[in-house]
Amino acid sequence: MVGAPIELLQRVPLFQGLDRGELEQVARLFKERHFSQGETVVMEGSGGAAFFVIASGEAMVAVGAAERPALKAGDYFGEIALIDQGSRSATVTAASDLLCYGLTFWEFRPLVEGSGVIAWKLLESLAKKLRSAQAD
Amino acid sequence: MNEVLPLSEAHDTSLFGSKAVGLGEATRAGLSVPPGIALSGTLVEAVASGEEVAVARLVQLAENLSLPLAVRSSAVDEDGAEASFAGQHLTLLNVPSPAELPSAVRDIWWSANSDSAITYRQRVGLFTRPSVGVVVQSLLNPDVAGVMFTQNPVTGADERVIEGSWGLGEAVVNGTVIPDHFRMDRAGRVLERIPGLKRVAIRALPNGGTVEEPVPAEDVERFCLDDLQLEKLSQLALRCEQVYGPARDIEWAIADGTVYLLQCRAVTRTGR
Repeated sequence: MVGAPIELLQRVPLFQGLDRGELEQVARLFKERHFSQGETVVMEGSGGAAFFVIASGEAMVAVGAAERPALKAGDYFGEIALIDQGSRSATVTAASDLLCYGLTFWEFRPLVEGSGVIAWKLLESLAKKLRSAQAD
Repeated sequence: MNEVLPLSEAHDTSLFGSKAVGLGEATRAGLSVPPGIALSGTLVEAVASGEEVAVARLVQLAENLSLPLAVRSSAVDEDGAEASFAGQHLTLLNVPSPAELPSAVRDIWWSANSDSAITYRQRVGLFTRPSVGVVVQSLLNPDVAGVMFTQNPVTGADERVIEGSWGLGEAVVNGTVIPDHFRMDRAGRVLERIPGLKRVAIRALPNGGTVEEPVPAEDVERFCLDDLQLEKLSQLALRCEQVYGPARDIEWAIADGTVYLLQCRAVTRTGR
């Protein structure tokens, strides 16, 4: 199979609103990546290379010493560092063996630039995170 | 181009990366190099994406290699990339069969696209899409292995510096042991021998992966290289300089009495 399963991407809020053909195009860009239980997936403060969608397993999230809600199948992470080319805003650790599909910056940026639907969903997600951060 | 070729046919660094082409050059020059194949950066990308045609081509060509396999990155991007990215890109030793190669190749692709690799690229002003070739070779089961500089990397002196230890050379490269240290002049005369502390040897496991095996007490400080082996390494140094030019950083292994070249790159820094 090339790229990520369509059924997985259909569950990802970021890609809801894309038709089947668009989803197939997006799916082809992804590459599979496995992380073992306990492995650090991304480290807060380090540079960011990829955006990930979780296909199976769970991941723990921490910002500084504060734990954030765990991530599970269908959740995504890693987009913020790709947008501003800054450092990772959280540490994500595999709570179980984790199967992800990832896009690097070089696929992610043209994808967002090319799809108003995805860009708007991304803005909604970022606005939600901003409000959540302001409420903390 | 979407290519996978026997190492001896790898000529173009812009397709296969400097490690693959360097080993191809060594093979064509008649040096002992473990048999292998070179995957172009685009083929690696296609295999990492799960493209069936690319995966099938890779597995088919790898079936001619004796098992197990060693899978190493061969950075395509720019001159000196191998040295620049040493430690950033993954090496997978003891991949048990061709069927496991696609997963190994994908892991290497991700190592070139990892957060740490990209952070490094940003720091050195190389924020461009990485391209990584891959070399797949039969994995040796060496008695002894290590590194050799054809010019002293610390003082710049015109002499060979050899470091060796028991088993796979990763024990030396990764700093797992204090290796035996030798200095030789160009004529092959030994100038200095300092025994190391080689408490473990890295060996291949039957079902893949490697293990750090304890070294028998009597071998911990016993020299891992005798005069004949040192002479063969001196000859290898000379041949590498003839093929590649002066000041080389060599990875070598000795298995069944044969000295093999695993990698040869330019020394990146000398004391001069």
